[in-house]
Amino acid sequence: MMELRKTTAVITDLLTVEEAETLLEWLQKHPRGKLDLAGCTHLHTANLQVLMAARPQISAWPENETLAAWLRAALCSQE
Amino acid sequence: MTPLLQQFLSEARDFLQSIGEKLLQLEDRPGDAELITELFRLVHTLKGNSGLFDFPELSGVLHAAEDLMDAVRDGRIAFARGLADQLLETMDFVAILIEEIESNGVYATARRQEAQRLTQSLRNAVSREETAEPEPPAADAAETAAPTEPRSRALAGTPEPERMALYRRLAAGERLTWAAYRPEEECFFKGEDPLYQLIQAPDCCWRAVSAREAWPAIAELDAYRCILDFELITTRGEAELLEHFRYTQDQLELAALRPWDLMEPVGERVEGPALADFVQAARERLAAGDREGLECAARTLLELTASDQRVASILRWLLLALELEPASVETHARLIETLAADAGETLASHAAAPETGAAGPPEDPDRVAVQRELWEVQREILALPDAPDWLPGRLRAVTASLAGLVTSLGREELLPGLDAASEQALASADAAPLHHWMETAWPEWGPAPGLTSGGPAPTALTTPPSDDEPKFGRRAEDALPGPRILKVDQGKVDRLMGLIGEMVVAKNALPYLAARAETQFGAREMSREIKAQYAVINRIAEDMQDAIMQVRMTPISFVFQRFPRLVRDLTRKMGKEVKLVMEGEDTEADKHIIECLTDPMIHIVRNSLDHGLETPEERRGAGKPPTGKLTIRAVQESDRVRIEIADDGRGIDPEHIRRKARERGLIDESRLERLSDQEAIDLVFAAGFSTAEQVTDLSGRGVGMDVVRSAIAKVKGTIDLKSQPGVGTRLRLSLPLSMAVTNVMIIRSHGQQFGVPMDDVIETVRVDSAAIRTIKRHRTAVLRSRIVPLVPLNELLGLPDPPRPNGDGAYATLVVRIGKEPIGIMVDDFRETVDIILKPMAGILDGIKGYAGSALMGDGSVLLVLDPKDLLS
Repeated sequence: MMELRKTTAVITDLLTVEEAETLLEWLQKHPRGKLDLAGCTHLHTANLQVLMAARPQISAWPENETLAAWLRAALCSQE
Repeated sequence: MTPLLQQFLSEARDFLQSIGEKLLQLEDRPGDAELITELFRLVHTLKGNSGLFDFPELSGVLHAAEDLMDAVRDGRIAFARGLADQLLETMDFVAILIEEIESNGVYATARRQEAQRLTQSLRNAVSREETAEPEPPAADAAETAAPTEPRSRALAGTPEPERMALYRRLAAGERLTWAAYRPEEECFFKGEDPLYQLIQAPDCCWRAVSAREAWPAIAELDAYRCILDFELITTRGEAELLEHFRYTQDQLELAALRPWDLMEPVGERVEGPALADFVQAARERLAAGDREGLECAARTLLELTASDQRVASILRWLLLALELEPASVETHARLIETLAADAGETLASHAAAPETGAAGPPEDPDRVAVQRELWEVQREILALPDAPDWLPGRLRAVTASLAGLVTSLGREELLPGLDAASEQALASADAAPLHHWMETAWPEWGPAPGLTSGGPAPTALTTPPSDDEPKFGRRAEDALPGPRILKVDQGKVDRLMGLIGEMVVAKNALPYLAARAETQFGAREMSREIKAQYAVINRIAEDMQDAIMQVRMTPISFVFQRFPRLVRDLTRKMGKEVKLVMEGEDTEADKHIIECLTDPMIHIVRNSLDHGLETPEERRGAGKPPTGKLTIRAVQESDRVRIEIADDGRGIDPEHIRRKARERGLIDESRLERLSDQEAIDLVFAAGFSTAEQVTDLSGRGVGMDVVRSAIAKVKGTIDLKSQPGVGTRLRLSLPLSMAVTNVMIIRSHGQQFGVPMDDVIETVRVDSAAIRTIKRHRTAVLRSRIVPLVPLNELLGLPDPPRPNGDGAYATLVVRIGKEPIGIMVDDFRETVDIILKPMAGILDGIKGYAGSALMGDGSVLLVLDPKDLLS
């Protein structure tokens, strides 16, 4: 699920492969957009790829520790 | 595309084919020196040929494969299954490149990384195996002596404390496995979610995600082309990871984590004389086993060094290694040598004299490697294109480096020669004299393939690397022994066949002409002459037809050749053991038929492997030998080819089929009861029938046996299935040798002519009208003690006239076989049989039922050829 607000995309539960396109479009339109992943349980790799390319600010990391670890590894390592 | 390239591509395919075959043979006979030599020769020739074109990745991969084969040939490496896998993978990759070059002229840029990965893994195989060879039990030797290339860039980029923590775990005896998972670009379209797989991976203690290429601008990003690489380190073993990633094993690279992988120094590179001194002292202390002294010295130097320097990082690692693994001298030595390499030239000029003494091992392999690398670098610098502006500076730098190197090697006597060469080079503004000096002064350090080829392609070298043996004349030896074969584009053969077909039709016009000469013009003499000429032309035309058929004949090995690999790969995937026996590979049939056979055969073999043959345990339980047997046999029987695919697996249980058929609603209850076992088994050919309990990735792709049967039927073949539960299954395909010319019988009905393929006709009889009985409004007659139903052709074609009897009141009846039952088709009259070139119905006529096609007759008329099976169904 993805709720796109003015400055923040709030992602809850599962972000599917189809939603990657929507996410990408939103990030293209909102280059300063932030992401709230707190309620996210899993996101499809395609979404991860979009996030890695866009590097938006993450306002909240997922509560799920394994997922958070992977996302941090992907999004925090190199600039 | 140039003809040369075209020839290369077509030859390359043959080479790949032979290489694949040889590799599989080699698996059965690993020690066969002749096979290995042959294999090396094939790879070598292919590589040589590829060098004619600008495909560096292709040549690079082949070169690595050649080196590997060379090592095998020289007995430096034992041939093992793992090697075969690697080489087969390489050849598959080369085949992909060849295909892409053929269709696009180039291969996709994405192939480059793949090529690099393959090349690297082949090289690793050489070095790993080679170094492991002298002391097979000591696993450490292989680990530490391997090239110092870090496995992963991402790992090197991880903060030092994190890597040190991992090292602590390793040193504490934990086994850690490093894995890299590189999903395919199209993986999202296959429903894969790599991240999900990774999150599920057990006990992951380090992870990294990186992009394979630079990120495009966000506006141009393709969200659905996966360019991510994943890496992780886990406490689980390789086997467990393989199981976890079992569907994408090919995209996975696994290795036990070595301490060395973690010890990647970070920081700024600063040189200083103190470093060289330290290295010298450290070597001595290490050789003397003075660990405390070493530790003390390292600590002192570390205190003197800014902590963000590379040297400090190495020292921290050294101290940690000394603390955690005091016994692992190898690791310590390596770290010290890394320092030495950093110190580089400073070291070369400073630490000359004591080195030749007995302090350390004089032939320290790492040290030699470093020196040699330096040597190679100088060579490469010299080989760079000469630009007048900075050439003198470059020459001086090279001279200085070489002088240092020579001194460090204790060969000062070479220095005067070097100075002379340097002056000469500076005077002539050309690198050649120095280059020449390098070649002559230290001949044993000629170009080292192992060192130079690791880097970018050494094509810039002015002198080509010379092999052990001269290459002159080798091409001649490389020519494959074999029959003189002309390769012709298939289109040309098809055109020739079409022309010959037209010739046959045109020649058939001559008898008509002869008849007209006689009847219309009363020229009997003329008519006879035309007939005589016709006989001659007819003979030549028939010979021509025969000849072109021979050209189109392809041995069935075209299809068979892929089975050894298919069977090997599938059985290994499924954990089954199957022995493949193939017979009659040289049986020939028309190319078209052979080509149409490929897919159905692959499907049948897959089915056998997947459903038919059991796992070794099941087989043992059933009292059979654990290795299953799959026999594929081809024989020619008069004008047909018979192919038999038999396995000794679990067979097909008719009860099971009945149950499935009922579940799928393919057949109603009452008919099911009456089915014999054989008829039940034949139900597998029914559309929509798939017996697989669960859909595996091998068979069960929604392509059922019905598709196999219709594909075979399309080339006028038949398929027959026999199976005995617990004993095995046998499939028999019967196919015509050629389908270019069809023999048809001409019949007349309702004042029109039709053709009926002779293959379908059992006999022609004249049935007396008195012998026809009507049973429930169906006409029947007793022929050869059997009741045969009779159907008038006019009725089948929807023509109003009843069949016309001849003068004696008898009906001309064509007996054809539909399935197993004979059926009589009543026509008005029979005519002669002719050979025709059957053209399938095309365009709008394609959908019309009941016709096999049309043919042009000698008098210019068109003959419609009926398809009785279609007509009666």
